[in-house]
Amino acid sequence: MMFRIARSREGGEINHYDLYKIQTRKGMTVLDALFQIQDKMDASLSFRYSCRGAVCGSCAMLINKEPRLACRTQVSMVIDQSMKLKPFPPIIEVPHGWDKETEILIEPLPNFPILKDLVVDMTKFFDALEELKLWESPTDGDETRIQSPKDRKKIERYVNCILCAICFGSCPVNYEKEEYLGPAALAKAWRFNQDTRNPDAKKYLESAQQPKGTPMCDLIMNCVKACPKGVAPGGAIRKMK
Amino acid sequence: MVHEHDVIIVGAGLAGLRVAIELVKDFDVAILTKVHPLRSHSVAAQGGINAAMGENDSWETHAFDTVKGADYLADQDAVEILTREAPITVIENERWGTAFSRKEDGTIAQRPFGGAGFPRTCYTADRTGHNLLHTTFEQAMRLGVKIYEEYFVTSLVRNESHVVGLTAMEISSGEVLGFAAKAVVIATGGFGRVYARSTNALINTGDGCAISLRAGVPLKDMEFIQFHPTTLFGSSILMSEGVRGEGGYLINTEGTRFMNTYAPEKMELAPRDIVARAISTEILEGRGFENEYVHLDLTHLGKERILERLPGIREISMHFAGVDPIDEPIPVQPGQHYSMGGIDCDKHGATSLDGLYAVGEASCMSVHGANRLGGNSLLETLVFGRVVGATVGEYLKSAKSESHDIIDEEVFKTRERLQEILFRESGESPADIRKELTEIMDAKVGVFRRPEEIEEALKVIREQRKRFESVALGGSDKKFNYSLIRTLELENLIDLAEAIALGALMRQESRGAHWRLDFPKRDDERFLKHTLVIMSDHVMRIEYKDVNLGQFEVKERTY
Repeated sequence: MMFRIARSREGGEINHYDLYKIQTRKGMTVLDALFQIQDKMDASLSFRYSCRGAVCGSCAMLINKEPRLACRTQVSMVIDQSMKLKPFPPIIEVPHGWDKETEILIEPLPNFPILKDLVVDMTKFFDALEELKLWESPTDGDETRIQSPKDRKKIERYVNCILCAICFGSCPVNYEKEEYLGPAALAKAWRFNQDTRNPDAKKYLESAQQPKGTPMCDLIMNCVKACPKGVAPGGAIRKMK
Repeated sequence: MVHEHDVIIVGAGLAGLRVAIELVKDFDVAILTKVHPLRSHSVAAQGGINAAMGENDSWETHAFDTVKGADYLADQDAVEILTREAPITVIENERWGTAFSRKEDGTIAQRPFGGAGFPRTCYTADRTGHNLLHTTFEQAMRLGVKIYEEYFVTSLVRNESHVVGLTAMEISSGEVLGFAAKAVVIATGGFGRVYARSTNALINTGDGCAISLRAGVPLKDMEFIQFHPTTLFGSSILMSEGVRGEGGYLINTEGTRFMNTYAPEKMELAPRDIVARAISTEILEGRGFENEYVHLDLTHLGKERILERLPGIREISMHFAGVDPIDEPIPVQPGQHYSMGGIDCDKHGATSLDGLYAVGEASCMSVHGANRLGGNSLLETLVFGRVVGATVGEYLKSAKSESHDIIDEEVFKTRERLQEILFRESGESPADIRKELTEIMDAKVGVFRRPEEIEEALKVIREQRKRFESVALGGSDKKFNYSLIRTLELENLIDLAEAIALGALMRQESRGAHWRLDFPKRDDERFLKHTLVIMSDHVMRIEYKDVNLGQFEVKERTY
């Protein structure tokens, strides 16, 4: 199997694509393939990784023009998969010479500045969490609070978010509008707003509804299709709009 | 230039974050971490966090279970802190926002776990670590904790009597920088990647343990490696003990629930060392599938319970093994999971080097002794994060800053050392060394141990260290040079592998997770003691140290 990988030595733009021949084996993931390249062919290839089990959110990247976690994506299944995302430039424009039938194309996650190869600058993604103050302001007390299983279930979907930024990288609005806070932060605001334990729930909703928040979303729902954890940020944003 | 803070915490998992939260109001504190905090391995913990909160449960029962589970090698004064402080620790994190799973009455749900007398494991489905880490990170963000993100620690800097700081490589630029601090806290987690088959994140390379060892600080009980009984065949991803806590069966090729032979009372919920040996025995005696694995069967639990309690397990099984546990059993085998050993420290995290503290899996206080109970490691990070934070705070009140000269010198030396690796045009492949090292550890220092095999492993480890001296990466860049980082991690793994193997060779008994085929019995007379590994002039030696016993009398351990 051939891998065509976007390279950017100094960051900024993709400068060129390198082609590597991977020795595949049963159950091999895209992350395994990237390590094979780094170990055996090209030590200069940079990409982030940590858990290799789809819980830490480090390895989001564009795989055959779809944003995925490299560790959870089987090499053997890449070519047949489709998320049916609404197109926008980074997922439309294909590099010269890419043979879709025989090569897997790997590029950095869109909508973020490239730092090197597949490593992107996620500062604005994490800054949005701080800007919206997405944390509880704890009050004193020495007992746990009560929450019914039914109320707990309301936030289940949203607490499963791993902050991998795949939603942000799949969003045509994030592509166009630098200031848009993005689906993950807004879905997290909804998680705090819907948490029945939270005495101050309204403030999260209000901050999510600022101009560069929910009003900017066009309900395109790429985030819902691309999310590897079934969080469905678009559904939360629709409710907040 | 040298960055200066009162205290620097290395590692941003649950333990490191909790230490920072304790100190941030009163001191200039910074965390230094090689990955974004949310990418730390705490995120992968599944099953839960123990706290005696049930009606008939008590911290004493929790303490007894922990000490017995530890095969009496735990220090009972440290276990007392762990178990006494457990409920308040869970309450604190709940009040910070963690969305624990609930009972019908709205209180926190608790599930049964291996080796525990009560269902005392609080959980959030099978994603407990993920929830606790995100919540704790949110609180660190709220309090404005300073974080040096994507910095790889390269060495500790000390003078004759105490720690003065550290050196680290800024991953984005490849620059080596100096950091001055009156106190350093090591919270870098475990070193599971010494083994090829491990549930651990790829980043779990024990960097903090290795740099401490090289700075003359002893490591303790390194031979006690926990092999989790149930890791997914193929990728070694963890299949939580919670699966068995929810009623999952272990089945061999004969269709038998074989735990009946090994622990008739506790069955699948015997402690991990016992279940791991049972599975290994079944496979060795020819009752494993493809001679490699057994079945973890959940099909009788029903779709609804699996979807509600074990959604993460189902997702992992489907994505990484192509198996839906609602319909089919999961193929599992034992794999490295947890490092009971670590940096030798007391129950407040203080090491033998003034100003250096350790916490969480990187530390060895010891609360887990020879075998950790499931649900006690998340607990350790948060309980002792607070305790160690408070201790460091006391220390800082009288600690003074030192001249930076010694740090500058160390930065210069480290820079030279890294450049030597980077400029070497040809030499040994780090990937080959890593493969040989980690595979020999799987094969020869695993669940069952023989002295001649451990010696064989030691020989291979020492060969790899020799090869490492001429390691070469091939062409790479300064920025985001993960090949270099993985090579520096490998250097750490080599030292830790030797410490593990040495400890295992010298301990002529079987206790907890350390099982010697030539000494199948526990030997309290000779080995009711902690192992210390000390490195001086590049040579490691072993010493022993008494265990702090207490209210629980040392007895035979049966389940």
